[in-house]
Amino acid sequence: MSWAIEVQNLNVWYGDKHIIKNVSFRVPKNVIFAIMGPSGCGKSTLLRAMNRLLDLNPHARVEGQVKINGINIYGDNVDVTWVRRQFGMVFQIPNPFPHLSIYENVALGPKLNGLVKDKSQLDELVKQALQKAYLWDEVKNDLRKPASMLSGGQQQRLCIARALALKPRIILMDEPTANLDPVASSKIEELLLELKEDYTIIIVTHNPQQAARVSDYVAFLYMGELIEIGETSTVFTRPSNILTEKYVLGRMG
Amino acid sequence: MMDSEKIFLLFLIVFVSISLLIVAGIVTSLIINSYPIFLRDGFSFIFKSVWNPVKEDYGILPALLGTLISSAIAISIAMPLAISLAIFSAEIAPTSVRGFINSVSDLMASLPSVIYGLWGLYVLAPILNQYIMTPLHQYLGFIPLFSTKPIPTNLFTAGVLLAIMITPFSSSIIREAYNAIPHHLKEAAYSLGMTRWEVIRTLLGYIKSAILAGAFLALGRAMGETVAVAMVVGNTFTLPRSLFDMGYTISSLIANQFPNAEAYSYMMPALYSGALVLFTIGLIINLAGLYWIRRVVTRG
Repeated sequence: MSWAIEVQNLNVWYGDKHIIKNVSFRVPKNVIFAIMGPSGCGKSTLLRAMNRLLDLNPHARVEGQVKINGINIYGDNVDVTWVRRQFGMVFQIPNPFPHLSIYENVALGPKLNGLVKDKSQLDELVKQALQKAYLWDEVKNDLRKPASMLSGGQQQRLCIARALALKPRIILMDEPTANLDPVASSKIEELLLELKEDYTIIIVTHNPQQAARVSDYVAFLYMGELIEIGETSTVFTRPSNILTEKYVLGRMG
Repeated sequence: MMDSEKIFLLFLIVFVSISLLIVAGIVTSLIINSYPIFLRDGFSFIFKSVWNPVKEDYGILPALLGTLISSAIAISIAMPLAISLAIFSAEIAPTSVRGFINSVSDLMASLPSVIYGLWGLYVLAPILNQYIMTPLHQYLGFIPLFSTKPIPTNLFTAGVLLAIMITPFSSSIIREAYNAIPHHLKEAAYSLGMTRWEVIRTLLGYIKSAILAGAFLALGRAMGETVAVAMVVGNTFTLPRSLFDMGYTISSLIANQFPNAEAYSYMMPALYSGALVLFTIGLIINLAGLYWIRRVVTRG
């Protein structure tokens, strides 16, 4: 079996603080893999270690390996911009560039990466990305308007489209519905199930119900340690660790 | 308790009123004192090029052009410098150097302008003349901008000196705006696989209103600056034919001419109306700058 991503003995420190403690796991292709755990358990840090966004934090130190297609992204001679382009990333706060238009937000990534040759290809790519993000019908007549005019849920789907336009293998999502209302959240969750056909999705959530609803595999992270990992149905019905059981039953965090 | 609060409020109202009254008083005296020359010459006073106290004939066009030209030079040199300095301090310099750069920059912004004037006259002007203006005139003299044979003190020198003076000021406005960019936008940019330069370019677009505001407020300062300019601009009342001509600015004209003004009947109104023109331009520019700053703040 070939894996979308393999994490081996990953450790992260912020200064002296040990944030991620020797975490290893593998994610198969075309699944939704959820990382759940209470606030402050290191979920977001773990996610940012996977596409080296953690490099932005000057105090962060990483040890261990993260492999995509057999390449360790922390290896020597690995171009960090290449690494990040293998992933699409969606954040907790919908963060389209408010000064750019809806179109430009989606087009920015492929334009910089040289993914497209000409304007018509770019137009097509933007359209496809917006369609895949279930946003096209709502914005097709407003492509030139600023992204800031969209609602929160629309902005988050725009961010998903922006991520998809990079043609990534893996989509990283950091609590993508934490700042959305229930209707907008369930729209995003439906969208995830669709996207699974073409992408591997790794989603961080502090909400075990969401993990249960959308994921195929789930990992439970607690104080930087990987407590339990497995098929979602198994972890939620027959957790093997008492901490996991407490967490999924809502008695923790 | 209530009484002390009332007294405090009363004091506040009194002091605020005093400040507002002073501003109103200045504007009023500008208008009243310049009124005679407008009554005699109308607005033609602004567009005439003559300064003849003997015939009581005045027009401020050369000084107005001098103000506009030296400020234009200043702003076009200062903005690239200010943006670079802001980015270097906010994004590129190591944290340990950052504080030092910002302190130096803030110190430069607060130096008394007479120091800039002195340095500009004795250090900057000869250097500019020898290494920039003379070669430009020699090799590109066919371009009208460089057509005059330069001497050290002229409009160009004034413009460069002004650029040095306003760079730290507008740089700090841009730096503050850059540092206020939400972290999640920076993350979004990097997550798209942008290089550092591409991220900086994208984020500069996000703060373009602040950059414009910084430019306008700095332009306002450049136009009003008096002492330093008066020391290096040449103080010659002719219509400038090139950047290398000696000239006047409105503020340096006022500073240089007011000691004589009372001897004549229309020179004082002429100087006052120069001040009124300068005030009006400055007001417009500052309002524009504030408008753009407000747009930055309200965009959220």
